Amino acid sequence: MRGKKLKIGNDKGWTLVEAILSIVIMSIMVLGLTVVLMAFREQLDRSWSIRVMDQYGNDVVERLTHELRNAVDVNVRNGIGNTHKIDITYLDPYRHDVKFTNSWRADVRSAKVTINNDPIDRTFPPTSPGRGEYFEIGQFTLTPYGKLTPNNREHQDSFQRNEKFMAATWDIRFQLIYTRNAVNPGERKWSYVKEYYNRVYMRNMNLAVSEGITD
Amino acid sequence: MNAFKKKWQQDEGSIDLIQLFAGLLIISIAAVGTFQALFYGYEQMDYQMRYRKAISVARSYAEYWQGRIHTDFDTANRRMMVGNLGDPEVHLLDERDPSTDLDDVICEVAYSQIVPHSYEALDAGGGDEGISEYYLFEVFVSWYEPNDLTRAVPHLITFQAAMVQSAM
Repeated sequence: MRGKKLKIGNDKGWTLVEAILSIVIMSIMVLGLTVVLMAFREQLDRSWSIRVMDQYGNDVVERLTHELRNAVDVNVRNGIGNTHKIDITYLDPYRHDVKFTNSWRADVRSAKVTINNDPIDRTFPPTSPGRGEYFEIGQFTLTPYGKLTPNNREHQDSFQRNEKFMAATWDIRFQLIYTRNAVNPGERKWSYVKEYYNRVYMRNMNLAVSEGITD
Repeated sequence: MNAFKKKWQQDEGSIDLIQLFAGLLIISIAAVGTFQALFYGYEQMDYQMRYRKAISVARSYAEYWQGRIHTDFDTANRRMMVGNLGDPEVHLLDERDPSTDLDDVICEVAYSQIVPHSYEALDAGGGDEGISEYYLFEVFVSWYEPNDLTRAVPHLITFQAAMVQSAM
């Protein structure tokens, strides 16, 4: 008992200066860790949203490419904003004298691409976005080869190609914009723009099958 | 004063300066390691993005040549038939942030010789709907990663494609 009392009451511990120094160092470390963790969380949120956006962008472009490869005709008109209304005509897989059409639209307000008014992916944009974050469609266009390209050589080449080639070769450009508004004081608005691109040659447009000849 | 000095220098039940420095050093090493890992992860994601874009460029170029072979093709055009491996086209692969001094990443796009193949070689029946030949070619996309200072071996994507000439 005596020994225990002595241990409690003795002076073998931190001095006031050491305690204050420790508190200061630990406070700096905790503060630094908090800042790093918050920045990391922000990066994770951004990265996740960009991944979701990537998945959607690639899905849309891949699906449109696939449809155009199998199509026999396509009709492109101007839509709202920098978008096109795309009507793709196919032959019925079972009766080649019957054609049907899929209408592709980009709804810039809801950031959804639809086929015959049915969204391609119901999970995009996410139903519960974070505070201040939203997605937009910047561009959804289908243009003939070389008409809307940053590549000068392709543009010049397009004038040398024949009519059949030009009617069947298309460039798909789909641009998505992800924005995180400044919500808390000291934050800055952050935007990320990404373009998804593919070129497609409509094989069936220049095949006998496009005229319904199957035998 | 002496008593205070003595207390300040004592080593009983507390951490001394060396321990403190050692602790900070360990934490610093751990922090540097974590940041290096994050930076590596970020670079890998960037690389994956460029890789995917390079695939898109290769496929689009292959699609262009398939279209050309199908509808806009002259086998007598020797310059077109031999490919452009010696003089590849340069395309923009990744446009970097203009507010920084980072250079854009470009890629070289080329196609190999367009080689005619006969269906007879595959099928003794002799082709389909009057088409007796198809054409094979390869598309190459190569680029250097921005952090690759040695530039010894470029990243390369190869696509092989085939196409017939339209019978229409």
